[in-house]
Order: sequence, then structure tokens, then C-alpha cells
Amino acid sequence: MKVSLAIEGRAREIDLDSSGAQIVAVEPGVYSVLLDGRSYEARIEHSDGCVIVFIDGHRFEVEIRDPRRWSRQTGRQGVEGRLNVAAPMPGKIVRLLVAAGDTVEAGQGLLVVEAMKMQNEMKAPKAGRVVSLAARKGATVAAGDVLAVIE
Amino acid sequence: MFRKVLIANRGEIAVRVIRTLREMDIASVAVFSDADRTSRHVRMADEAEWVGPSPSTESYLRADRILDAARKHGAEAIHPGYGFLSENADFAAACEAAGIVFIGPSAESIRRMGSKTAARQMAIAAGAPVVPGTHEVLGGPAEARAFAAQFGYPLLLKAVAGGGGKGMRRVDSGAGLDAAYREAASEAERSFSNPDLYVERLIERPRHIEIQLMGDRHGHMVHFGERECSIQRRHQKVMEECPSPMVAARPGMREAMGEAAIRVARSAGYYNAGTVEFLVDAHGDFYFLEMNTRLQVEHPITELVTGHDLVRLQLEVAAGEELRLRQDDIAWRGSAIECRVYAEDPYNNFFPSPGKITRLTRPLGPGIRIDGCVYDGWTVPIDYDPLLAKLAVWSGTRPSAIARMLRALREYDVAGIHTNITFFRQILEDEEFREGRLHTHFVDEFLARRKPFDPPPDLEAIAALVAAFHSTRSTTRAESAHAPRSRWLDIGRQEVLR
Repeated sequence: MKVSLAIEGRAREIDLDSSGAQIVAVEPGVYSVLLDGRSYEARIEHSDGCVIVFIDGHRFEVEIRDPRRWSRQTGRQGVEGRLNVAAPMPGKIVRLLVAAGDTVEAGQGLLVVEAMKMQNEMKAPKAGRVVSLAARKGATVAAGDVLAVIE
Repeated sequence: MFRKVLIANRGEIAVRVIRTLREMDIASVAVFSDADRTSRHVRMADEAEWVGPSPSTESYLRADRILDAARKHGAEAIHPGYGFLSENADFAAACEAAGIVFIGPSAESIRRMGSKTAARQMAIAAGAPVVPGTHEVLGGPAEARAFAAQFGYPLLLKAVAGGGGKGMRRVDSGAGLDAAYREAASEAERSFSNPDLYVERLIERPRHIEIQLMGDRHGHMVHFGERECSIQRRHQKVMEECPSPMVAARPGMREAMGEAAIRVARSAGYYNAGTVEFLVDAHGDFYFLEMNTRLQVEHPITELVTGHDLVRLQLEVAAGEELRLRQDDIAWRGSAIECRVYAEDPYNNFFPSPGKITRLTRPLGPGIRIDGCVYDGWTVPIDYDPLLAKLAVWSGTRPSAIARMLRALREYDVAGIHTNITFFRQILEDEEFREGRLHTHFVDEFLARRKPFDPPPDLEAIAALVAAFHSTRSTTRAESAHAPRSRWLDIGRQEVLR
């Protein structure tokens, strides 16, 4: 099952079936996660339509989006000018879906980044032209690195 | 010993006192306001009496209602806790007049220590060091210069009629003295219509170190050593430790401070528990600040390091028993730290954050002590101090106590409200703190230099996974059950209708 969401303002698509993580609800609002042999405990709170996830005292604000309306919703935002598409977290680029100079629709996949065994498709935040594509297949990226610029 | 004691307080300290009463097989009477009907102390006590509406001026500060409750329930003594009526000499006198024992010093001792200037005079008379100063009106800059010749710079010129920093000037050398004097005097004239100034030695980045005392009604008094309380926000302590890293490093300093504190307390005819606060400069010289004539919030760390129950001793002394402890019986073992867990947002100017506790997990395991009143589902009242709990740890050394406190704070989970738990974790990781370089401006300087509390890189992915998993679960559950309605479904429907 795939879920589109924005974590700390960064869009992500999560495929729960291929994540490799074992998630169990252990108490109301508390989940135990096992991934790659590591154990995490996450606690959930709800606030203004957002999910707040706490792990080890760190707070993450998550907005869940319905995958079926994802492209329509972003298209409606009608953003003007240049927009950077940045890596939401450290990872490895596994696939490029467009090339520099391509014209893209809002919500169209640009590239796929893998981290923690999860593949995340980075999507175009708006319709336009890919003016630069800094990402290379197989490259390792840090959180915040600009991967593409859409105009 | 008493058979029944009323606690004229609420929250964690009422719970603390009830615990010792129960261990001593003494019945407890709680008092409560409208806001506190479901509070922990009421649930724990053997008996309870309503004393008024939520505002403390109409309930916990109403001496008449508290005395009525004590009479009605047949309590022989009243433990005032800290705050509220604990340092109110009239209340202590009213208790004695009603034939009810006030568990604390005499009304006369409270009165004498209640005035800062009178307490300072008493300290001087008792031979305890005070911050050097004239505290008499200066005739002009020349007298300030003479003071500086004796005590040195920096010094502080202060308006006699002053307050709030008005008419106050710091002077670092003789060159700036005349100008500073003129400015301070004219500002004092403008602000208070009184240009008179006095001068005081300025203690830079002082430590706040206090001595715990206990005395009986037969003239015997001992000290339980020091607590370092330099970590303060808005002039309120938030983290304390015993021993003080400075005192621990200086042979004889604890004994010297303890003896000075006992001399001051004796001169006020003091008995029961009390604390003498000192300012301490970088050289380890200490100066009497004031005396708190009650049990302190941070008393648990002294109990952890000395192994004595201070509330039990208070009760025994109040019942007229002799304090059997000699000074030599008191020993200090290991290191203890306390964090005051508040319902507040430390990164929004420590703004209070009352509300409902939706989930609560407390640290457990070796060396942990929690004095608290919070439970899962309780709503923190907006009417009182938002102290949720005091988390104290004990370990053999200061570094291992710091590690233990960090471990305990990671286990602590309070959901539904903001707390300062993360703030403590950052302070405990701070190099200056670990080195024991503490002073009363520590928190301000720490907030300016602290690094952001950034999560390790893998956590965001885990958070995203959990949020996604949670969202699918909450939707399916609501759909299958039909009611109650899910917020997720509602949001989804609104989106579709747009």
C-alpha cells in the first residue's frame, strides 16, 4: 500500500509493502519498528489534521495526502517561477525518470531516491521545464541537496 | 508522634508528604480546590476536604479554611509544603493559637528571616559573610571610591529607592566612577524622585549554592551539606545537584558553609527544616543571600546523597522529639541530580503549556526517583505552577549521574502537552555543564550557544513510515466501525467535495 505524505514540508511517497520494516502497534499511539536489525519506538499525536511523530524526543510533523488526489492537488497550487527539488534525506539515486530540458507535468516523477530500503519518487512540484538535473544515477546525496530545478 | 496530619498544599509536594506519613502510619488529610478534585494528592490521601474555588487566593492561601479543615478532621499538625502558606508567619502563629502544630519553624523565626534587610543584619551579627556593601546612603562619588579602595572593582551603584534595575550602574574601574555615579543618581531622581545611592560589590557570574539545615526545639542543629542550584530560568531553579561540583573540589568548603549557615539560623532561634542560600564567586568565597524557612523543592537530591528522609525528620522535630543525629553521623555518598519537569515550552520563552496528558511513560530502573503528581488522562490545571514532576537520579559519580539522567530523560514520555524534557537533555550534553562551570546566567548563555536538537538522519524515514502505517490503520478502523468518525475520513471527504 502506498501513502503520499509531506514530512517536515517535504513530499514523500511511502510504499508500506516494500519498506522492509516490521511495524507493530504496542500501545495506543505507540509503534515499535524493526528495520535492518534496528529497533525504534515511535509515538503519535494528532494536531490540526497533522500527525506528529515523536521518536526519541525528536518531533516530526507529517501531513498525509491521499495518493489518488496527489497530482491534482499540487497542480492546483499553480506555483510561479523556478522551484528547487531537494533531497528530503540522505540516500542514493537509483533511477532518473527525466532528462534536463524535458517538459514535465505537475506531480510527474523526476527521479527515484532510495534510503533505508525505501524508494521515494521525487515529483515535480509544478508543471514546467527541467532546467537542470544535478542528480546522477548511483550518486549518494545528502539531505537538502538540490536534485533538480523546474521552471 | 502525631496520629493525623493535614497537608496545606497540592501537587507533587503534597504527594511527597503523604508518602512519608503513610510509611510512619500517620493518617493524612488533603485539601483541594475546585481545580484539584481529581488531583493525585486527593486520590492518595486518607481524608480530603474542599477548601474553595480554583484561584489559590480563594483556596490554598485561605488560612481560615485550612484551619477549619484541620479542626473538622481532627488533624494535630499541618505540613505547609513549600509556597502558598509555608513562609507566612501569621499562618504559623494562627496554627499555634488554634493548638495545631505548624510543621516548620516558629512564627518569630519566619518573620525575622522574611525581611531581606533584617536577615542580612542578622547574618552580619552572626559573623556570616554577606556581599560587601554600604547599604547606607553615599555622600558622593568619593565615598564610593573609598569603598572600592577597600573591596575592589567591579562594583554596583544602586538606588536606595530602586527596583527593576533603574538607577543601577556597574563600575569596572575608578576612571568611570564619577560618570556612572552622576548617571545613576539622575536616573534614580527621575524614576523614584530620590537620587540617593548605595554601593555593593558586584559578584560576576555567581553560583547559587545552598545549605540544608535541620534543628530540633531543644537547641540542636545539623547541616546536610549543600545543593548547587545555579541552573535557573527567569530566576527560578530548574536543575539542581548534590554535591556542588565546586564544593566537592574544595576541601573544607562544605564545612565552612555549613557552620556559617548554622550560625545564622541559630541567631534567629531557628528549628525544623530550613535552607540558607549563598552566592558564591569564582574564588569559592561565599556570601549569605537569604534563608528559606521551609522544605525546599529540591530536597530529594539531599535525601538521595545522605540517605535521610527530611520530611520524617521534620515530623519528629515538630512533635517535640530530639534530633538524634550528630553532625558526624551525616555522610555524603555519590552524586544526585534533579530536573524539574514543567508543562512549558522551553523554546518559546518557557511559556506554560497546561492541558490534558494523553499518554505518560515514566523512567524506571536503577537510581531513579520521581516526585510527581501526574497521571495519564489528568488535565494540568491552568491555575497553579506547572511543575509536573521532579526527576532525580543518584549514581556513584557526577559523570555517571549525568549519564543516568540522560538515560532517564530518554525513557520519559509525556504526550498532549509541551515539557522541558528535551531542554534538559541538551543541557546535560553541554560541555560547560559537564565541566561543572555553572553560574546563575548559565541558561541564558546556553540558549544563545545551543545547537539545534537535530534528529539522526535515519529517524525521518522511520517517522514517515510510522505516519503512513498509522494513517492506513486509523482510516480502516473508522470505516469498519462507522463511529466514531475519523478525522482522516473527514479531511478526505472535504477534499473530495472541493
